[in-house]
Amino acid sequence: MRWATRAGVHIDRAACAWLIGRFVDRHAEFVFLTDSADLGTDTTPFDMPGVDLSHHTGPDGHAECSFETILRRYHLDDPLLWRIGQIVHEADLEDERFDVPEAQGLDVVLRGLSMIRTDDEVLALTGPLFDGLYEYHRRAGVLGREPA
Amino acid sequence: MTLQPGDGRGPWVLLSYRVPREPSAPRIAVWRKLKRLGVAQIGDGLAALPADARTREHFEWIAQEVRDAGGQAGVWLAEPTDPAQHRALAAEMTAARAQEYTAVTAAAQQAAALPPVQRRRAGERLRAELGRVHRRDFFPPPQRDQAQQAVRTLLVQTDDNQEVPR
Repeated sequence: MRWATRAGVHIDRAACAWLIGRFVDRHAEFVFLTDSADLGTDTTPFDMPGVDLSHHTGPDGHAECSFETILRRYHLDDPLLWRIGQIVHEADLEDERFDVPEAQGLDVVLRGLSMIRTDDEVLALTGPLFDGLYEYHRRAGVLGREPA
Repeated sequence: MTLQPGDGRGPWVLLSYRVPREPSAPRIAVWRKLKRLGVAQIGDGLAALPADARTREHFEWIAQEVRDAGGQAGVWLAEPTDPAQHRALAAEMTAARAQEYTAVTAAAQQAAALPPVQRRRAGERLRAELGRVHRRDFFPPPQRDQAQQAVRTLLVQTDDNQEVPR
């Protein structure tokens, strides 16, 4: 399946692409649009203003980022993904809803990457980063403390 | 496109918006978000920030929020025709942040007299507040360094005290 988002990816779009590629569509192909009118009919858009898979108000009345919306739409209830969702939420929306200090650092890393790499390269580089975050939180859950 | 904020002349990213008067909740939500971003209010329904990837993105989502609430909104890149306009906007934003930094400094100095546990709590709260002001500070005033120093001093004083539980 083809998936589209705005060019110039940052934390939310990079995290969404990882989520889609790992948990929604193993054969996902991504395109990056500079003009939202270029969206083809065979393509599912995400993290673009006005589309379904983007920022929305959640059931509890709080704003949610596109990553959280995708978790809801595809019924991904893995608590580890929701934990990563908190990081993405804070890095993207900066509304201090969750206490996740790592969000600011991750945001800086992503902003720096986007300055020196293309969108395709950013996705290739951040894939393992999110895999690692997932594994970190999985181990933290098993150990009941921060893993070494 | 590379956009460098604060290089003397812009560019700026502008949000033009009109939110219906009623219901008031979405209108207030938009107002809060703009305040949090530290925008310069150029006029009624026209807000400005130095253009970069982050400010542009924030405005694009707010614009969508306005449209979802039945209003009208647009996001624009702009350069003032006269550099004086740029300086006036920058000065307005600098003054607004200076006030916020001064408030942090004053609160930190006041908190220095508190017992260790409350002092530490106040220090952490002020550090978070300082982070919020930093994020909307595009043209740093000299008051920034004073505020940073005051909060650092407060936290160091607490660190030195062995009785403070961590």
